[in-house]
Order: sequence, then C-alpha cells, then structure tokens
Amino acid sequence: MPGRGMSTKMKVTILVALVLALLIVGFLSGELAKSMFDATIEPLHIELEKPQLPAQPVTDPLFGDFSLTNTILAAWLTIILLVGVCYAATRKMRAVPSGLQNLVEAALEALLNFVQGVAGEKNGRRFFPVIATIFLFVITNAWLGLLPGFGSITAHGPEGEVTLLRNASTDINVPLALALVSFVVVEFWGLSAVGFSSYMRRFVNLGRLRLGMGQLLRGKLKSAATSIFSGAIDVFVGALEALSEVMRIVSFTFRLFGNMTAGEILLIVVPFLVPWVVALPFYGLELLVGFVQALIFAGLTLVFAVIAVAPHGAKQEAA
Amino acid sequence: MDAEAMKMLGAGLAVGVGLVGPGVGIGILGYGAMQALGRNPEARGAIMTNMILAIAFAEALGIYALITGIILAMVA
Repeated sequence: MPGRGMSTKMKVTILVALVLALLIVGFLSGELAKSMFDATIEPLHIELEKPQLPAQPVTDPLFGDFSLTNTILAAWLTIILLVGVCYAATRKMRAVPSGLQNLVEAALEALLNFVQGVAGEKNGRRFFPVIATIFLFVITNAWLGLLPGFGSITAHGPEGEVTLLRNASTDINVPLALALVSFVVVEFWGLSAVGFSSYMRRFVNLGRLRLGMGQLLRGKLKSAATSIFSGAIDVFVGALEALSEVMRIVSFTFRLFGNMTAGEILLIVVPFLVPWVVALPFYGLELLVGFVQALIFAGLTLVFAVIAVAPHGAKQEAA
Repeated sequence: MDAEAMKMLGAGLAVGVGLVGPGVGIGILGYGAMQALGRNPEARGAIMTNMILAIAFAEALGIYALITGIILAMVA
C-alpha cells in the first residue's frame, strides 16, 4: 500500500498505470473489442439501450392524456436549482459580495456585458431579463443532464421501465416553448419600439405598389410600370421576411433539440463501444456544446430583437 | 432492396451528403473571420460575435440533416 513518504514521480507513475489499466479493461469489455476479437469481458459488457426520441411518461395519466414525463421532472429540477441558488445568494446581501452572492453577481455581470455589447446600454437593460433567463435555463438543463443519475435511475412507468430523469431539452416541447417565447418577446419589443403600422410595414409594404396604381390611373404609363414592378418586388420581399420570422421558430427549436439529442445519443453510444475512460472527452464536449447552445439561443434572440427595434430608416441603411 | 436496407442507406446518405454544405460553409466563415481579425485585431469582439452567430446558422442546417438520419435509422 502506498505510504506517506511517496515521491511525486511515484504518484504520477501509479496514476498513469491506473488510467492505462482502466483504459485497457474498458476497451476489452466494450462492443468494439467484441466485434474485433469476438470475445469480451462478459460481466462488464452492457447492452445498447435504444435511444428514444419522445419523452417517456413516468406516472399514469393525471388528467386526459397528460402524464408526468421524465423531462418534466428534469425541468422542475432545473427551476428549483436556479431559484434556490438565487434565493440563497440574496438572503444576506452585502455591499461587498462574497461567496455565493459573488458567484451569482459575476455570472449576471458577464451576461449583462454580453447583452449590452450587442444591444447597447438602454436596450440591453430592457432585454436583459428574458435573454438571461433563456440562457440560464438552457445551460442548466444541458449541464444537469450530464450528472450521474440522469439516465441511470429507472422507474416503473406506464410504458415499462424508463429512466426517471432526462435532459429536459431532449423533449421537443421544451425547445419549442422557448422558441415561441423568444418569438413573442421579439415581436412585442419590435411593436412597442416602433409602433404597429411602422413595424407591419416591414412585412406588408404596399407603398410603392399603391403609388404605381395611382400613376397608372393618372396616365403616366412608363413611371407606373417601374413603380408597379418594384412595388411587386417589395410585396414579395415583405412576404419573405414574414415567412422567415415564422421559420425562426422552427430553426430555434430544431437547433437546440438536435444538439441536445445528438449529445445524449453520443453519450449512450460511446460508453457502449468503449466503456469507462474514453467517454471523458465526450463529456467535455457535451459541456462545451451545452454552453454554446445556450449562448446561441440567447444571442440569436438578442440579435433579432435588436433588428426588430431598429428604427425603420436605420434598418434600410444597414441593409 | 428491402425496407430495412433502404432506411439504413437513407440515413447514411442524409447525414453524409447533408453535412457537406454546413462543413464548407463554416470553413468559409472561419476563413473570413481570420482574415478580418488579421487586418484589424482591435475589432476582435465584433468579429467573434458575428462569426459565432453565422456559424450557428450554418450548424443548424447540419443538425437538421442529423435529425433526419437519426429518425431514419432508429425510430422509423
């Protein structure tokens, strides 16, 4: 047994030997070794669980068709964690923060700098609550899903044995809800900033078409033709803009859903192929992906909000 | 060819061909960002923000292809 007087070199050697042993044993008990050598360390071999796309219910239906799914439980856990941390950090607030208050303040300040960097001072303050909430919700969902317990604790549900907790963003309803919130909030900010008619003029731009019609009735045929032509193009571009606004909901949903589901499937398949040590870099990748997806969801909402509240003239100038 | 084989083939093609576009697109974006950064290192913040944004758009298209492949291979 290692004693107290061990040199650093000895400790490093033992550590490296341990990791190497885990690597070799892990490799030999996985599916890769099974297909290469046709044999594996049977007691350690696991079967591949089939990845499920829809969320699985954990209880019997409560009312109608609705039953608690494992993703709902995970989302509740996220909410409890976020609210609990914020509550604990603000209980005894000091002017010079320390401990948990310091951590929360640092995170919020980083977020505020990011939001104000993209949207400017005043608008940044106005957009900050929703953007920061979206960011914190997505990132907590993603990172909680990596903890042990998510995917390993099973329960008896109406559809057989299912895992009790699952990354909330792998249920397509959660990214859809976030995308709808983002859409509604961006439209609300746009409408409240420039007014209803001015905002709608982005999508329904009949100005030049009407001008062309007027010129036609007055007999100026050549200018009428060009006006009607460019008016028709304006209407078409406006309709395209409206379509792309709606398509944003779809793209937000599938970006977040796809990244989280693909990550979950990756973390199921890699330990099946080569158990133990090799899965560690993939956990690192999933940490990064969770952070980047949260940043992208919040950041894209922010960018579209900035575009929506830009005064009409400035937008045409920028475009 | 039976349905199972077609599904597997479809999944492979969906992901393989579908990810060429986003791959090339992200490469071009990175190239543009590196050039801009080389010319004007002071504008690092704006360049990085816009690059990450554009990469998110390109990557979303790749994710659509991946979802199609996953659905074909594992759910359908």
